[in-house]
Amino acid sequence: MKNNNIKMILLFLVPVAFLYTCFFIYPLGFVLSTSLVKWNGISSMKFVGIDNYKKLLTDKTFLLSIKNNIIWALSGGFIQIPLATLVALILARKPRGWKMLRTIYFLPNIISAVAIAMMWKAIYNPMYGFLNAFLEIFGIEGHNWLGEIGTALPSIIAQTVLYIGYFMIIILAATTTIPKSFYEAADIDGCSILQQEWYITLPMIRGILVTAMTLAMAYGMRHFEATFLMTNGGPAHSTSVMGLILYNKMDAFRLGEANATGTILIFLGTVVIVLIRKVLSRGDAGADSVQ
Amino acid sequence: MKLVLNILKWIVLGFFLFVAIYPLIWLLLASFKSSNLELQQNPFGFPDQWMFINYYNAMVKAKLPSLFMNSIFVALVAVSLNLVVASMTAFVISREDFKGKKIIFTVIIAGILLPIISFMVPYFTIIQKLRIYDTLLGLIIVYSTINIPISVFLLTSFMESIPVELEEAATIDGANFAQRFTKVIIPLSQTGLATAGTFCFIYAWNEFIMALLLTSSESSRTLQLGIRFFTSQFVTDYTAMYAAIVITIIPSIVIYFFFHNRIISGLTAGAVKG
Repeated sequence: MKNNNIKMILLFLVPVAFLYTCFFIYPLGFVLSTSLVKWNGISSMKFVGIDNYKKLLTDKTFLLSIKNNIIWALSGGFIQIPLATLVALILARKPRGWKMLRTIYFLPNIISAVAIAMMWKAIYNPMYGFLNAFLEIFGIEGHNWLGEIGTALPSIIAQTVLYIGYFMIIILAATTTIPKSFYEAADIDGCSILQQEWYITLPMIRGILVTAMTLAMAYGMRHFEATFLMTNGGPAHSTSVMGLILYNKMDAFRLGEANATGTILIFLGTVVIVLIRKVLSRGDAGADSVQ
Repeated sequence: MKLVLNILKWIVLGFFLFVAIYPLIWLLLASFKSSNLELQQNPFGFPDQWMFINYYNAMVKAKLPSLFMNSIFVALVAVSLNLVVASMTAFVISREDFKGKKIIFTVIIAGILLPIISFMVPYFTIIQKLRIYDTLLGLIIVYSTINIPISVFLLTSFMESIPVELEEAATIDGANFAQRFTKVIIPLSQTGLATAGTFCFIYAWNEFIMALLLTSSESSRTLQLGIRFFTSQFVTDYTAMYAAIVITIIPSIVIYFFFHNRIISGLTAGAVKG
């Protein structure tokens, strides 16, 4: 293709090229390559091969962190998305006040992770929080939710997974593209509402469901903030995640190990994305076009 | 059967309504209570007395006004920089034909899927090398850049929907390349710019990890970072801490109140386009 504006086009792409190279391409290369060195940020780098990886993959806390990230990813993909889908399907039939509900469900998504985490820390507080006070009404004994090994991880996950607003909205949007006539025909054939949802709606929005699950699981693999703020990995590392290990390694100036953690995080994140698309979009060309 | 489904439907909707909004209401009420004791004895009700003093304490102790100004400044400048760069990119991608255009677009959009937290070390190193560690400028550059993929995605699909005839007419009237951008496309893209800008603003306003990583002194601290620091100052005074959290939430809610249709339609457009 010939374009006589090519100089102007290049000029317009200079800023994005500069910023994108500095903050996406270069960091990616940097993380991958320096995962093979020993480096404290001050003295010069020393090549150590795959030592950093060996060290990480034999570290119990790191393996536990990977496991926790996988639990996060599965909770996102298999609890959060089904719940979001359920609500989206209900709202798609436009019950009274559905627009208002949609707006309110999304509200927590625009509040910062820090504020949400601090708010839930307050809710889970064994002395002053409302959760224990609420359970007491029913005579159920409370917990030190974030301080006990058995409850800490589920408590942090619940605080994220129950906020379905973002996924609910994109799923709801996809349902609006389904022609009304499909449901009218199903009505005439005597299909119940549940049958209609199962045989018409779900297959029709398959593409967006795959995307939503991919995103939810990818977010689970890179989870960091709420854990950092609510438990900092405790008690006894039971809530630790890869992002937290990365942060702590960096804080301790073990930058080679930090970048090896980053590389594993990028790798596993990509594996999750590729895997779920492979499994879920089998024989479904439509889903592949979704970016 | 129909009735059962109907009841179940409202239970589900009610449950998520509760989850979305009750914790915020509880926090708001708790932030006005007089003491930790009242939090224990009266966990759900209205405060015996509305203690506005908690808000005053939070403001003064946590130096909220200066953190507030930092956050506003960072977010607004980051949004401006992001929109300038992203709209120039989206313009050439959506309105011009040239070799490698598809690849450039794909590479930029792929940035959405990269876990930015794995870039902690390189971001720290780059920002130090540029000598903007512990400055608001460092945060501005990082925030605006991290949002480039999503802004380019939104703006490109928006600009693609603008009819070509308008640009052709402008060209006949003698408009050059830059003028087609500034005089035709930008004015017609205001809705798209507002959507992309709102996303960028919310991100910049709420961002925490990079602020933690790339600043150290109080003079360049943002509000989100502030919450973390002042929760340690208020270890004993929960009500003032809750007041401080409420103060940081208010701007987000105000913005949402005015722009929620735009935000939701932005998300919707992305989903329908797939």
